[in-house]
Amino acid sequence: MSTTRTITFTLNGKKRDFQIAPGELLVKLLRRSGLTGTKEGCDEGTCGACTVNVDGRAVLSCIMPAFLAHGRNVVTIEGVGDFDRVHPIQQALVDAGAVQCGYCTPGLVMSAKAMFEENPAASDEDIRVHTDGNLCRCTGYEKIWTALRNVRDANKPAQA
Amino acid sequence: MKITDFKIPTRLDEALAALRDLGPAALPVAGATSLVFIPEDQPMTAVDLNRLGLDGIRRDGDAFRIGAATRVAALQKRHEPGWVLDRVALTLSSQQIRNESTLGGNICRVFPWSDFPAALLALGAGLVIRGAQEKEMTADEFFSSQPARLFRGGDLLTHIRVPAVGAGAGFGYKKVRQTATGFSLATAAACLQLDGGGIRSARAALSAAVPFPARCAAVEAALAGKKASEGLLREAALNGLSGLKFKEAEGMSAEYIGRLAAVTLGDALVEAWAQAKEQAS
Repeated sequence: MSTTRTITFTLNGKKRDFQIAPGELLVKLLRRSGLTGTKEGCDEGTCGACTVNVDGRAVLSCIMPAFLAHGRNVVTIEGVGDFDRVHPIQQALVDAGAVQCGYCTPGLVMSAKAMFEENPAASDEDIRVHTDGNLCRCTGYEKIWTALRNVRDANKPAQA
Repeated sequence: MKITDFKIPTRLDEALAALRDLGPAALPVAGATSLVFIPEDQPMTAVDLNRLGLDGIRRDGDAFRIGAATRVAALQKRHEPGWVLDRVALTLSSQQIRNESTLGGNICRVFPWSDFPAALLALGAGLVIRGAQEKEMTADEFFSSQPARLFRGGDLLTHIRVPAVGAGAGFGYKKVRQTATGFSLATAAACLQLDGGGIRSARAALSAAVPFPARCAAVEAALAGKKASEGLLREAALNGLSGLKFKEAEGMSAEYIGRLAAVTLGDALVEAWAQAKEQAS
């Protein structure tokens, strides 16, 4: 049988050691570590519910072997915000009515966060492209895109 | 895929030695986005290829030199004269997959969802492989059959050399799928080099609709030396694929997929022609 290995990575700002089975997937490691905000949906890299950020990029933790996170900077939804400190992306989704069942929302927030960190002025097309891997069966996307356009517009410096 | 151990080499020679020593038990991994589709049979030792300096794109004369571990997202987000792979990258799966998948991973084992082989065949790319020595192959040699055959001895694809699409030249790329992130039903890529109003040379390639990515020799021959027109390009695509075998897909007959491939290739040729006219010298 495979032996356990130790890897180290920064999780939501804190550098930590993790004991993993060599083939363990990142989503399993996160959830058994108590971070259940990252959702398991399709388990095959299609739905985007498991999206987390690794070195600032939105990636699918349900298909990423945990060992690839060694030495990296991993941020999950728990590192973004919660009821007491709501992140502007989360607030914009609430304000636009872009959340119904909510299962896709953590992954969507992680995709949007990575996009805005790379490009705060993301175009409408950029917003569509960067949410193409987050399936939402409730909202029909219009309210999600409205919310993300509102985040983008709030990022813009005030016109002189 | 059953990963029972992993190695994280930080130098190319270390990675090559690990791949050689492990032999068939080695699983070279960079983006890891294909592993979910590989059955769990044999125990494998994953070898992480992400820390070998094999990522990045740089202009090298009249070509681009792309590290094999370069993410598809890096291809998608590069925009400069002569660079056309952003168009191919943008239609590959979802942003999260583009952020992790690598160009090398998309082509070292051709899967039904591999989009880049057709583009690299049409562009006349070169593939640089490192084993005991370094060797460069043409895309035609590399994709003559499943490229995985080249890596059984522990060799590694390190770079891909992609010619810049320059004056008088144009590139076209079309992919047909049922949903934004779905696998391709037909992928077509084309390169045209114009000489005044005439076609000096044409390269065309198909994937997904056919059993394995391939150049379309009859289409290319029908175009070389002719005066370019939309009618000529579409007719060449419609008439030039009759010798090929097509696959059934998602409830569609092989005959239908063949027709879809011809129309898709016609669209790619017209797109290539439009760019070539824009870039007329």
